[in-house]
Amino acid sequence: MFNKENKLEKFKDAETIIGASIKVKGNFQGQGNIIIEGMLEGSLKTEANLFIGDSARVVASIESKDASINGEVKGNIKSRGYLALGSTAKIFGDIQYGEISIEKGAVVNGQLLMLSGEPRHRDNKKVEDKSSEETE
Amino acid sequence: MHVYIYDEYLNKTKYNRAINRLEIRLTDLGLNGKIIRLGGIKNIKGTIQNEIKLGAKTIIAVGNNQTVNKIIGAIIDTEIYGDFQKKTLLGLIPVGDDNSIASSFGIKNIDDACNILLARRVEKIDLGLVGSYYFLNQASIQSQGTTIEIDDYTLDITERGEVRIINLLSDQKESIKSNPHDGKLDILIRTRRRDESIITVKKLKISNPLEKLIVDGVVEVNTPVEVGIMRDKVSVIVGKDRLFE
Repeated sequence: MFNKENKLEKFKDAETIIGASIKVKGNFQGQGNIIIEGMLEGSLKTEANLFIGDSARVVASIESKDASINGEVKGNIKSRGYLALGSTAKIFGDIQYGEISIEKGAVVNGQLLMLSGEPRHRDNKKVEDKSSEETE
Repeated sequence: MHVYIYDEYLNKTKYNRAINRLEIRLTDLGLNGKIIRLGGIKNIKGTIQNEIKLGAKTIIAVGNNQTVNKIIGAIIDTEIYGDFQKKTLLGLIPVGDDNSIASSFGIKNIDDACNILLARRVEKIDLGLVGSYYFLNQASIQSQGTTIEIDDYTLDITERGEVRIINLLSDQKESIKSNPHDGKLDILIRTRRRDESIITVKKLKISNPLEKLIVDGVVEVNTPVEVGIMRDKVSVIVGKDRLFE
């Protein structure tokens, strides 16, 4: 799981880091943990975990195991594990997740769909989420 | 048989003392062998290849990064490479500046190099390839305006800084651990905004209309150029303080 304390611990061995001054275009795939702080256009897929920083801008479909998103994402997100949306996250696209938490201030504009088991929450309407509490 | 390849620049008088000390030390350790001085030799490739044909067990570069690269360039992708890979090791004795490859191998100075040759600890390592040039350490280029094509995606860098394509680290303090046995290159991009990017790849194409790619700090290569890696291509004699596992 992600939180502010364990983010660095979890990602200190990240296989790939895209810094703030890098712009990536195309289909980006990895096996290990990925950190995105810059810009990415296309698609982003990893077998492992994904961290998107608060200054990152991603226009891509995303697929990963666990993911922590704090920047702007325009595209669909599929997180097979735990998805954490930080307070600075802005999501414009549908989200599929195993588990989810949404911090106060996060913007979600799309459908939420739980991947396995009984759906805990499904909303077919466009949602602008500025809830004041973390939800699961 | 040991064959010592002395680089051309060692003919300068300022290196006389170091060379004398080296030769005394090699004699003391029973490591003396044939000495070939590259100064004055026109056919460097032919000379090195001939020594391997004659059965050299160890080819030792005495000099700097450029000396190592000259020897590697004379061997890899030639008809002699098969013999070299089966029978010959590559050693290194650093003299003077530009010796990052020696640092990677854990060789700090001449005395150290002699002891390491005696201990004969051998590692097979990958070789990076830029166009027709080989590299052990890294290839680097200014980051601003550089585009890197990898598989299905491209990286564009607009900030000033440096792009390094690393096979073998030369500085222990680096934030990444590059492994010269994994058949992969590590791209490390550091810009003035102090941000850092790291990507591990097998091959890439790099271009910058204004800058050249510098291979192991000595050779300048025009871009666009393809960069790749050849796995376990050279057997080298290394120290126990080498910067890789």
